[in-house]
Amino acid sequence: MNPTSCRGHTSFLDLLLGLGAVAAVASGGGLLSAGASTPALMPVTAYRSASCGCCKGWLQHMRANGFTVRDVVVADVDVVKRRLGVPARLASCHTAEVAGFALEGHVPAADVKRLLQRRPPVTGIAVPGMPLGSPGMESAFAKEPFTVMAFTRSGAITTFSQHPQVRTEP
Amino acid sequence: MNPSLRRRQLLGLGLAGLGTAVVGPVLWDRVQRSAALAQPAGAARLVSRGGVADLELVAQATRGTLPGGPADLLTYNGRSPGPLLEVKAGDRVRLRLRNGLNQPTNLHFHGLHIPPSGTADNVFLTVKPGDSFTYDFTLAKDHPAGLFYVHPHQHGLSADQVFGGLGGALVVRGDLDRIPEVAAASETVLVLKDYASASGQNEASLGMGRMLGREGPLLTVNGELNPGLSIASGGLLRLRLLNASNARIYRLALEGHRLVRIATDGGAISTPEPLEELLLAPGERADLLVQGNQAPGSYRLLNLPYQRSSHMGMAAAEADPRTLATLSYSGVVTPLPLPTTLLPVPALPEPERTRQFVLAHAMGMGGMKHDMGAMGGGGMAMGGMGMGFQINGQSFEPDRINTRVRLDSTEDWLIVNDDVMDHPFHLHINPFQVISRAGRPESQRRWKDTVLVKAGEDVRIRVTFRDFPGLTVYHCHNLDHEDLGLMGVLQIDAKAG
Repeated sequence: MNPTSCRGHTSFLDLLLGLGAVAAVASGGGLLSAGASTPALMPVTAYRSASCGCCKGWLQHMRANGFTVRDVVVADVDVVKRRLGVPARLASCHTAEVAGFALEGHVPAADVKRLLQRRPPVTGIAVPGMPLGSPGMESAFAKEPFTVMAFTRSGAITTFSQHPQVRTEP
Repeated sequence: MNPSLRRRQLLGLGLAGLGTAVVGPVLWDRVQRSAALAQPAGAARLVSRGGVADLELVAQATRGTLPGGPADLLTYNGRSPGPLLEVKAGDRVRLRLRNGLNQPTNLHFHGLHIPPSGTADNVFLTVKPGDSFTYDFTLAKDHPAGLFYVHPHQHGLSADQVFGGLGGALVVRGDLDRIPEVAAASETVLVLKDYASASGQNEASLGMGRMLGREGPLLTVNGELNPGLSIASGGLLRLRLLNASNARIYRLALEGHRLVRIATDGGAISTPEPLEELLLAPGERADLLVQGNQAPGSYRLLNLPYQRSSHMGMAAAEADPRTLATLSYSGVVTPLPLPTTLLPVPALPEPERTRQFVLAHAMGMGGMKHDMGAMGGGGMAMGGMGMGFQINGQSFEPDRINTRVRLDSTEDWLIVNDDVMDHPFHLHINPFQVISRAGRPESQRRWKDTVLVKAGEDVRIRVTFRDFPGLTVYHCHNLDHEDLGLMGVLQIDAKAG
């Protein structure tokens, strides 16, 4: 059942060579076996509510940056957030899992790649709320600065990266 | 025995400032700081005389004085919230707005039943920086008494200006005030408004941005942190609450006391309603009586935690109750009774039709860039561009009429919140009655102009479009959401012939 694996490997090589991001469709098993050296291609499982208007934008952003994304529509995203240990104060709309890490909200793909490369001792990373200008939240109206926070099961919250945004207003 | 004197002891809300001094940035970053003025504030209360209210509001940036708050505030006459405006039903209102800001602004007379055009509640007009405009209208002699709200409604800048400090209460005196038990109560207007912290850092890092609607950590009542209120043993205190915040929904409770509601947004209800707590969304008002029937002491007016999204934690700014004000007992009076009946709220006619309004957030289709240059906004792209909010799949366009109704017709509107956030739905110039929420009928008829539609729920409202034809709007009163497109244009057509 795998006419796509070949194409999957092609895009995997493309990424390694830095030739561009291709929305890869590949089997999860194959990717996991290559995980250590190719973290960017870890499959992502994203959980969202059907009514969320911005979650799909983040999924597209991740796919455009080389991730394989499984899109799971659930009735209650909070169940997933609790299972993955997302602190309430860091909550956003959608929640995702990659390689055992939790991803909360509109986390940029570059931060996810850095997470997978460095593998810090955290439960996951989050962009709380829905900042305008974050991936999937593109807006000509305003670009808001945002912070990617790292969190642990024990409740520790630290800054993972900061994204100052260029203001559109003079 | 002059009830009006007693009524007017607008309790000098003493400064017992205990708020949280959180450090955080000025979020209304579009306003020039250099424009800030350190100058004495104007009168706290402006009142009509002899049937005419000649009022002036000067919108300007002023140095902030709130401990831990923004360095600059946007003020009317040097005040945030603005001065209390007090008029009577039947008065002519002439209100000169002088724009001392570096951006366009205007006024909306939230809740008043006046024309939507000309010099009345015309939210389509713009007052440019440095310009003035005189709003001029006459309230009907039978205009309901109530607490109303004057605030900017400049599309694209409404949230910045209100969150920055603009807005104030407008009292219309009339029918309700003449009910003896109500007239005997001591009265206090409480304007609930939250402000950004000095740096805004904390709010920003927790994602409290425009998409959720900005909340600030400084919770004030009439611009003060934890002011004192007083009540006599046996006395009646009439608390008149206005939520003048940008996005914060208050869940209010008074320790040891029940809150007896006597009026909603648009005026009196028919029977007083005892409440243990009250949810008050931006733009909503409530008139409450409190009986001084507890042991003398101090009791906190609390804002209890409330989650205004369907997702755990998102847009839940605080996990613990916050103190808004403190009520203390002082003196003893012969016990004053509560009123047993108030004013009739007649049923509206059966609706001629039902419309549905589905609220959601989504990526706009693009190509909706408005040239704001003429308005001094510098070519800003509006809500339709990229992520924004929509009603029935459309973001606000000033030149597009979304809904046409006939004057004197009655309609049911089903407001469907298909979003992950709560949306307070507001209709201009005509009050409505809520028929049902989430399918459950309302317990009594009340006049409303703003109703909280919780995430995933729907609310059915009924409205008769009376007296005034013209163009007006309906929108989400989380003003960041309004600026991001959650607004529609309503045309009320005069009858043919």
